[in-house]
Amino acid sequence: MRFMMLMIPKGYETAKPGTMPDPKAVAAMMKYNESLQKAGVLLALDGLHPPSMGARVSFSGGKPKVTDGPFAEAKEVLGGYWMIQVKSKAEAIEWASRCPGGDNEVIEIRQVQEFADFPADVQQAASGFAEMQAQSGQRKGS
Amino acid sequence: MRVMVIIKANKDIEAGQMPDEKILTEMGSFNEQLAEAGVLLGMEGLHPSAKGARVKFTGTKRTVTDGPFTESKELIAGYWIWRVKSMAEAIEWVKRCPNPTGQESEIEIRPIFEAEDFGPEFTPELRAQEERVIARAAELAQAEKA
Repeated sequence: MRFMMLMIPKGYETAKPGTMPDPKAVAAMMKYNESLQKAGVLLALDGLHPPSMGARVSFSGGKPKVTDGPFAEAKEVLGGYWMIQVKSKAEAIEWASRCPGGDNEVIEIRQVQEFADFPADVQQAASGFAEMQAQSGQRKGS
Repeated sequence: MRVMVIIKANKDIEAGQMPDEKILTEMGSFNEQLAEAGVLLGMEGLHPSAKGARVKFTGTKRTVTDGPFTESKELIAGYWIWRVKSMAEAIEWVKRCPNPTGQESEIEIRPIFEAEDFGPEFTPELRAQEERVIARAAELAQAEKA
C-alpha cells in the first residue's frame, strides 16, 4: 500500500517568498531520503516553496475566486511530501519516526486511494484514471 | 516549473463520502484536458484522515497520534503535480477545474522546489545524490505500476 508522508513545518505558514531550507537540515534529510531509497520504499518526494509564493482558488457559488499567499487564516501548511510503498500503516509510522524532524515539525501519514479501494460504480465512472496516471509519467524532474 | 495543486478536504470527504458520477465525469474530462496539454505529471486521492496518523517531533522523542484530525481545517483530500510556465498559468487551469466537491471548495497551488532554486549551498555532491534518489524512486514507482 502507498502512503504519503506530509511534512508540516510550524512557522512555514508565514515564511517570506524565497525562503530556503537550512543546508544542515537538508544534508540530514538527504541521508534519510537515501535510507528510504535503499530500503526500496521511496516512490517520489518534493519540497514546496512557502505559501507566500502560492495561491488559493475557492469555489463558492460556482465562481472561482483567487487569493494570493500567504494565507492569513492558515494555522498549518504543507512543506513537502514523500510517497512511500510499505506493507502497513505501522511501517509508514516507523519510517516517519526515523525522519530527522525538528521540534516545529509534524509528519502526517495518509493512505493513498488505490483504484481497487473504490466501489464498482465509482470505478466505472472513473475508468481511464489508472491509464491517465500511467501516461502522465509521474515524477520527471525539470 | 512544477506546481503541487492541492484539493482541500471538507466534512463530507472526511466522512468518507465518494464523489458522485457527475463530479467524476467532469473531473475525468478536466484531467484529460490537462493530460492532452502536457500539463499533468501525477495525481492521487487520499483516504480520509481517520485512516491516517501524525508523528510529532520533540528532540529525540516521537509522539504518534491516530487520525481523524478534526481540529485541522487544512486537511488534504488529493493533489495533482503539473508542469506549467508560470503561477498565472496554473491559476488559469485551476479556474477551469470543475468544483471538486460540488460545495464550497478550495484548491491551493504551491510551486515545487527545483534544483536550480537552490544556490551554491546545494553542492554538486548534494545535487548528484538528489538525482540518484529521484531516479531510483522513479524506477521503483514504474516497477510498482507494472
